[in-house]
Amino acid sequence: MKDINSGKELVNKIKSFIKNYDFEIIASEGKSELTRFAESYIHQNVAENNINLIVKVINEDRISTVEMNSIDDHTIAKNIEKAIEVAKIAPKLDYHYQLLKPQLYKIKSKYSKDTANFKPLNRAQLVSQLIKEVNKREYEAAGAFRTEESTLLAANSEGVFAFDRGTKVDFNCVITRDNSTAHTSFIDSDINNFNINKITDELLGTALKNVEQIEIDPGIYTVILSPEAVSEILNYAGYTAFNGKTIMEGKSFVCHNQGKKIFPETITVSDDPFDELTMPIPFDLVGYPREKTDLIKNGVIKDGVYDHLTALKYNRKCTGNTLPPEQASFGALPFNLVMKEGSNSVEEMISSTKKGIYISRFHYVNILNPMSVQLTGMTRDGTFLIEDGKIVRAIKNMRFNTGVIDMLKAVDMISKERQTKPGFIGPAVTPYLRTNNFTFSSKTSF
Amino acid sequence: MKKILKDILDWLEPKVSYADLRFVQTEKENIEVENGILSSYNVSTDRGVGIRVLADGAWGFAASNNLDEASLQETAAKALDIARASALTKKEDIRLASEDKHIDTYITPIVKNPFQVSPSEKIDLLVKATKMMLKDKVKKSEGSFSFYKTYKIFVSTEGSELEQTIFESGGGITAYAIGEGDFQKRSYPSSFGGDYATRGYEFIEEMNLLENAERIAEEANQLLIAPPVPEGIMDIVLGGSQLALQVHESCGHPVELDRVLGKEISYAGGSFLTLDKLNNFTYGSPEVTIVADATVPGGLGTFGYDDEGVPASKSYLVNKGKFVGYLMSREDALKLGLKSNGAARAENWNRIPLVRMTNINLLPGNLELDKLIGDIKEGLYLDYNKSWSIDDKRINFQFGTEIAREIKNGKLGKIYKNAVYQGITPEFWKSCDGISSEKYWHVWGVPNCGKGQPGQAMRVAHGTSPARFRKVKVGASK
Repeated sequence: MKDINSGKELVNKIKSFIKNYDFEIIASEGKSELTRFAESYIHQNVAENNINLIVKVINEDRISTVEMNSIDDHTIAKNIEKAIEVAKIAPKLDYHYQLLKPQLYKIKSKYSKDTANFKPLNRAQLVSQLIKEVNKREYEAAGAFRTEESTLLAANSEGVFAFDRGTKVDFNCVITRDNSTAHTSFIDSDINNFNINKITDELLGTALKNVEQIEIDPGIYTVILSPEAVSEILNYAGYTAFNGKTIMEGKSFVCHNQGKKIFPETITVSDDPFDELTMPIPFDLVGYPREKTDLIKNGVIKDGVYDHLTALKYNRKCTGNTLPPEQASFGALPFNLVMKEGSNSVEEMISSTKKGIYISRFHYVNILNPMSVQLTGMTRDGTFLIEDGKIVRAIKNMRFNTGVIDMLKAVDMISKERQTKPGFIGPAVTPYLRTNNFTFSSKTSF
Repeated sequence: MKKILKDILDWLEPKVSYADLRFVQTEKENIEVENGILSSYNVSTDRGVGIRVLADGAWGFAASNNLDEASLQETAAKALDIARASALTKKEDIRLASEDKHIDTYITPIVKNPFQVSPSEKIDLLVKATKMMLKDKVKKSEGSFSFYKTYKIFVSTEGSELEQTIFESGGGITAYAIGEGDFQKRSYPSSFGGDYATRGYEFIEEMNLLENAERIAEEANQLLIAPPVPEGIMDIVLGGSQLALQVHESCGHPVELDRVLGKEISYAGGSFLTLDKLNNFTYGSPEVTIVADATVPGGLGTFGYDDEGVPASKSYLVNKGKFVGYLMSREDALKLGLKSNGAARAENWNRIPLVRMTNINLLPGNLELDKLIGDIKEGLYLDYNKSWSIDDKRINFQFGTEIAREIKNGKLGKIYKNAVYQGITPEFWKSCDGISSEKYWHVWGVPNCGKGQPGQAMRVAHGTSPARFRKVKVGASK
C-alpha cells in the first residue's frame, strides 16, 4: 500500500471477499525508526516495518470489526469470515449506522523525501554532535529521535476512498547535571527544518539557569506557561471537555456553558488542520474530511469535536475526528489543536510580571475532576521564580491542582510567538500564556 | 517458523557478540457494550519478528511483519546496520549478565479457553450487566471484555529455544450517575477496564458481574448526592484495588533499574531509589514487604520466561521495610554484578525488551479487616482509582479514588465523593501500621502500564490486601 494504486487494489480485494454487506476499511503502512540515548550514549536504537488493516462489516446496524497485520488473501478471507459471522448475531445499534458518502479532500499531510530516507547513521551523527556539545559543559544528554514515513487509507463500500502519505520527525531531549536539567522537543514533517545547534543552545540556555533551586510555598500564583506546557493543558482539556460524546452524555462542562462568554476575548482555541504551523491530518478514520472546528472563540464556548458514531447517534455533524474502531467508545479528540496568538512578546510578559513563576514543562498530568477540568501534575526541567520583571531564581518542582477553566479565565497575556509541540494525536500549535490563577498544592524535594 | 528463525540466527552469529529473535503472534478479542448496546466487537490477529543484535559493542533492533526468510534476512541486516550506528556514541561495549541456556515450553494453565466461548455468550453477559446498572441517575453504563492468546518463540545465540503460549482474560463494568454539573462513577471489579489475569474464561465467570451490577450503580447514585470528602490530615485504609496502583506507582516504577541508571530520564523520569540506597534505605515500616513474583498463578505478570530468555522468578524488593532489590534486565543486572531476575519484557514483536514490572506484590499481614478499620477513631476508607500522578523521581504522589467511606470510632460510615490523597513515597510507606490478612489478598491485573519510546503498554499485576496508613493528607477535587 505504498501508493494510491496499491491502496485501490487492496480495496478491490476486500470488496471481492464481502459481497452482501456494507464495509469500512482503514489501512496503514509504514516504517518507523527511533534512536534513543541516555547518559550520553545511544542505548536503544530500533526500526520497524508494519502494516495494519481494519475491516468493519455492517449488517443492518449490526457491526463487527477485524484487524490484522498481514494482507495475504488467506488472512483477509479468514478474518472477514469471522467479522461476518459476528455481524450476523451482534445486537443492533440503537441508531441507524449510515456510511459516509464519497468526499473531496482539501489538504494532504506534509511529506519529505529526505525524512523518509533518513538513516540510523544520520540520526546517530546528530545525536553524537549534541552529546559532544553538552558534555563540554559537563551535562549528560538523554532523549529520543524518531523519523517516520507512513501511508493511511480510509475507504468504504459506498465509494469513499481517502489516501494519504506523510513523514514525521519527532525529537525530545533532557540534559542533566546533578539537579540542573532542561528539556526541549521538536516535531515537524521535514528533517531539513531540524537544527541541532539551535536545540543544543536552547537546552544549555535553560539548564545553566536551572541551578541551586529554592523551595517556595504552595499557593495561588501568577504563572507564565511555555508553549509545551500550554499544549499539555489544552490537550487534556480537549480530551475531557471538548469530546462531543462526553458533551452529549452530560459529562462535560461544555454542555452547560455552550454559547457563554466565560473567558477573555483573547482566548480562541480550535481544532484546525489548516493552520500554517500544524502538521495536518487530512481525514479521520472513516474518511471524513477534516475541517476547522472552533472550540472556544473570542472567549465564547462553542462546541466540541464529533466522531462519526456520536454524530449519527445524536444527530450532530461529524467534525472529522473519528478514532480507530477499538477506541470508538471513547468518542472524539481534537487532532490539530491550535490556540490563536496574542500580541505580546515573551520578554514583555516576563518584564511586566511583578511576582510569578515561569513553567517550562509539566510531568504526569492527569485529570482530577473531569467536569470542572481540574488537572494535577508536576513541574519539571526548569521552573523559575520571576520577581520585578526578571527571572531571578530556579525553584524546586511543585505539584499543581488547578482548574483549567479558572486558569483560562485569568489569562491576561498571550504571546505573538507560537510553537508546534507534541499533542495527543497531531501536534498542537500554542503560544506562551500568562495567567493570574494557577494553584500549586504541594512540593517535592528536587 | 522456528527453523527460519534459527537459520537467520546462524547467519547472524559470526557477525555479532549476541543476538536474539522473537516471533510473536497474538490473537485478541475485545468487546465493549454501552447501556445494553454492543458498541464495539473487535477481533485482531497480529504477528511478526523482532531481531535484536549486539554488534560493535552496541545494540541494534529491527522488526518486520513480513515473515518470509529473505525479508527477515533483510531485517537482520538492518539490525546490524543500526547497531553499528549506535556504536558511534558508545562509551564501553555493552555486556550481558550470564544466563543459562534454556530449552523449554510454557503454557498458561487455563480451565476454559476464552476463544472457544461464543461471542454471543460474552456479549449477552455484558448486555445484561450494563442494562441492570441503568437505575435512577445512572444514565450511562459500560462493560468490556478483552481476551488474548499470545504465542512466542525465542531463540538466541546462547542456544536458548523457548516457546510460550500465554492466555489473558479480563474485563469489568462501570456505572456513571450523571447530574446537573456533576457526574460520578463506580467500577467493578476494578477501575479503568476492570481486572485482568493470565487465566481463561473462568476468571470472567468468577467475577460475578450480574451479582454486583446493581450494587455499584447504587453506589454511583449515592456518590452523586454525597458531600465532598473533608480535608485534613487523617488515618486512612486503602482498599486492595487502589492499593494496587499505589504499589505500582510508588514502588513498582522506582525499583526499575533502567530508570535508576537514567535510561528513562527524558520521558518517564528517574527514581529516588538510587544505587547507594540498595540495602541501605528504609523504604517503609516493618509491616511492608514487597516482592516481584512472576510465578504467582494467574497473575497478569505471570509467564514462563521473560523476553531475554530468563526464567520467571520471585525476588524481594522491600523486606520488612528495607529496600533490598531492583527489577532488572541482563544488561542492567551486570552493572550491579548480579544476574537478571527476569524482568525484561517486550509488549510485542516490534518492541525491544525493557525492564518492566511482573507481579509486584505487597505481602499480606495478619489483621482481619474489621480490626484494621477498628483501630481508627476518625478517618477514611478509600478505594478504586480515579486519578493518579507522581513526580519524575517517584517521590511526590497524588491519587484520587472513586469512593470514600467515613471511618468513625472504628466503624464504616457515610459515603464521600471526590477524595484525593497526597504524600511523599517513603514517608507514606513508613506510616503503614497494618495490613489485612491473606483472606483479603487478591492479585489485581493492570493491563496498560506505559513506558518507553516507542511506547510499550505492559500487562502487570499487584497482589494487595487492604492496608492502614496514619496521618495522610486528604482533600477533595474541585
